Amino acid sequence: MPDLGTTSGGVAPRHIQRTGLGLQALAGLALVALPVGLLGTLILWPTVRMVTATFLIDGNLSSDRYFAFFNDTYTMANLRYTLEMGLVSALAALALSFGIALYLRFSAGRIATLIHGLSLFPLFVPSIIISYALVRFLGPNGLFQLLLEQVGFTHYRTPYLTPVGPFLAFVWENIPLPVLVLSAGLSQVSDHAVEAARDLGAKAPRILFEILLPQMRRSLLIAFALIFMGIIGAFTVPYMLGPPAPEMMSVFMQRTLGNLHDPEAAQVQAVVLMVISSIVGGFYIATMVKSSEVVR
Amino acid sequence: MLQIDSITKTYQGTPAVRDASFRVARGELVCLLGPSGCGKSTLLRIISGLTACDSGTVSIEGVDMTATQANRRPTAMVFQSHALWSHMNVAQNVGFGLRVRGLPKAEIAAKTAAVLDLVGLSAFAKRLPAELSGGQAQRVALARCLVVEPKVLLMDEPFSALDAHLRKGLREELKALQGRLDLTTIFVTHDQEEAMELADRIVVMQGGRVEQVGPPGALYQNPSTLGVAQFIGAMNTCTSNLRHSAVDWYGVTLRMPLPDGEVALLCRPEDLSIDPNGAAARVARVIDLGPVTKVNLITETGDLLTWTCPRDQAPDLGRVMTLLPRRLHAFRGGALMGLMEAPLPAQAQGATA
Amino acid sequence: MKRTPFGGLILLVSMGLAMLGPIVTVILWAFAVKWRYPHLLPTEWGLKYWFAMFGRETVITPILTSLALTSIATTTAALICWPAAYAFARLKFPGRQLLLFSFIAAQAVPKFALFVSIAVIFLKLGLVGNFWGVVVVQMLSAVLFMIWIPTAAFRGIPPALEEAAFDLGASRLRVFVLITLPQAMPALAASYVLAFVSILFEVDSALLIGAPTITTMPLLLMSLSAQIIVQEAAVLCVLIWVPCAVLLLLSRRFMTARGIAQGFGA
Repeated sequence: MPDLGTTSGGVAPRHIQRTGLGLQALAGLALVALPVGLLGTLILWPTVRMVTATFLIDGNLSSDRYFAFFNDTYTMANLRYTLEMGLVSALAALALSFGIALYLRFSAGRIATLIHGLSLFPLFVPSIIISYALVRFLGPNGLFQLLLEQVGFTHYRTPYLTPVGPFLAFVWENIPLPVLVLSAGLSQVSDHAVEAARDLGAKAPRILFEILLPQMRRSLLIAFALIFMGIIGAFTVPYMLGPPAPEMMSVFMQRTLGNLHDPEAAQVQAVVLMVISSIVGGFYIATMVKSSEVVR
Repeated sequence: MLQIDSITKTYQGTPAVRDASFRVARGELVCLLGPSGCGKSTLLRIISGLTACDSGTVSIEGVDMTATQANRRPTAMVFQSHALWSHMNVAQNVGFGLRVRGLPKAEIAAKTAAVLDLVGLSAFAKRLPAELSGGQAQRVALARCLVVEPKVLLMDEPFSALDAHLRKGLREELKALQGRLDLTTIFVTHDQEEAMELADRIVVMQGGRVEQVGPPGALYQNPSTLGVAQFIGAMNTCTSNLRHSAVDWYGVTLRMPLPDGEVALLCRPEDLSIDPNGAAARVARVIDLGPVTKVNLITETGDLLTWTCPRDQAPDLGRVMTLLPRRLHAFRGGALMGLMEAPLPAQAQGATA
Repeated sequence: MKRTPFGGLILLVSMGLAMLGPIVTVILWAFAVKWRYPHLLPTEWGLKYWFAMFGRETVITPILTSLALTSIATTTAALICWPAAYAFARLKFPGRQLLLFSFIAAQAVPKFALFVSIAVIFLKLGLVGNFWGVVVVQMLSAVLFMIWIPTAAFRGIPPALEEAAFDLGASRLRVFVLITLPQAMPALAASYVLAFVSILFEVDSALLIGAPTITTMPLLLMSLSAQIIVQEAAVLCVLIWVPCAVLLLLSRRFMTARGIAQGFGA
């Protein structure tokens, strides 16, 4: 489990240590008060307020709104679509990234360096830019279609405004993070461990499943959780590239609030999304707390 | 100049320093010597003020500094890892203490130049720490301390990260510099050879306690505890039972007028001399060290005995020698019981001397 | 498990196409005056649309608004977060672990859902469509970047560097300003750039809190992309994004891969 510091390992300078614990406590809390306060007022409070608001109709406790939510076919179709998109995109991104990370782990040289650089490229591209770029690239008469026609393929059907569009964008965006996380995990598997297995006669698939994957479990889970949470909450990509129906939840929320002017329904949608995200997030945090070296 | 009284420091139940006391006179170079974990670095940090002690006092020139913060004490410390700041060049590193004190720019420049000249690094003023070798970096660290004219210079194993040759050279430079400036210095090391060469006096520490304080020669000749005797220089150690004022030493019985009980008998390799009444031992190995010859012998009791002799007296392999100690230190329970000069072999049991 | 160079080459080419293709398309459009199907490349090159864009207030205003918003939000976030990061890195205080964790936990909250909850409150406070309302919300996004990476940066400074300065007579504040900050500065600057770029292009908050009064650059981009003149959106992309990408690239030198991964707690 990588730790936060490098050389110092988190030990404070002695003149700081020497400051009485009381004074340290005071100073520490004072210094973190503002950012924590910001977090509290802008995340905790609005969320709590929103959750309570969704359960109150005219001052009475009621879960009617949630009944309405879960009984509305259109809403549920959107929700299912969102979760499916999250699952499929995350798995695809993980699989691709894992392949890339594997390649990088066991190769060296110019090609590997270039691939490494390319796999991190999406880190420098914001959502809106890649969404727009994919419209121009994968859209009708886009560069991709032009390239295909150069090699004689004329039956290109653009994924623009279909679910494939956002799917491709999500996979594109979510290559770097798992590549980084999985590379870090893979680098902890020594060459000798793999060589020993080969020496004993194991072939590639077995090495993959019995030696590499088990050691990567944690990294894979964390990467999956992060990607999934990011996708189900995404707005820009499905807005620019996705079909008008079904909608992903964030797009649906924006339309509900901004166009339909129905804040109450929008809040219910938001709470449901938050709950789903928290469950996944809970796994994420639990996995990290297990290796409690992160925060010491 | 500097007085330490009954300093105690405990970390989470383990005492790091126990009741340490000693004095340092002005202009003295005192080494804190001991194995890893003996508390010497902790004690140095307590003197500097970076670490607070649990009890005891630190006084400089008669003023009690125990409650004073490190940045207000008239001490300056050279760290093991040189700790130069990578975002400043050499001159800026050196001038830092002066800038903090608010001196005018011209004066800072002049003093910086002077002290860089002192350590022989005038040409390096504009270099960055990353461009310096280990020895140069440590010299800059030293200059950085010297320029603020501290009353006490503290050095925490400053040369241990450098190679042996460099270490020896820097040692000489330091000794010369320190003498010239008449600067009171406390130098922490685990290398007893370094301590012997540098120190005016050595404070030997073990397990958090001060074992003995004294000039190198005195510590070598007259160690007052078993720990000091074994840590400084080489010793032949023989554990034996003393009864009726007689004790067995490698197969020969010696007279020793001390109370009955178990004793550790220690003798320096060069303090052995050939005597027909001595303990018999067979030469197992002759090692030519250059200036002297070291001879490893196996005694009748099967123990290893080391003897250092001049080159021309080197014996042949396999020869049986009989040796007696000229100076024999006797310790019980770690404390010195007595020092025998040329102890005589006892007569057969029952006879009087 | 060594692959042949051939396999690597295929991977390289396909990745190159997939990763760079879309951006290349946009860059081509930005410098195209005419690009007729089915030509692979623009049929006529030129900077015509660059000049066309710059006179217009509807283009300049959102760009300036975005720059102002982002600068204020990121800088304020830096000012309140960096000292806090130092506290997390070096000081012992009750609740330290819990509070640090809370910043990780905040990542798990879906942004859009959160902004909905904030929007509803801001509506009542009249902060929707308000410049400062957007600043506050953007600060929130910045805070998440500005805690983790700076904390790691401060922890990475060898304590001896600070101790040496203190020993030579500097006060704790001076040690922080003269030694700690400069040593951590490369990583701090990198986190600043990362936060700045991320917020500059943020759509969610601008849409929910800023619209319709405050139009930011990404919103402008979205509206331009729906128009018939393709080049205008492309020009905007290249104009704003390319410098940002260069800045990010430069600052990456100061952030290791582990730093980024750790920023997400991995």
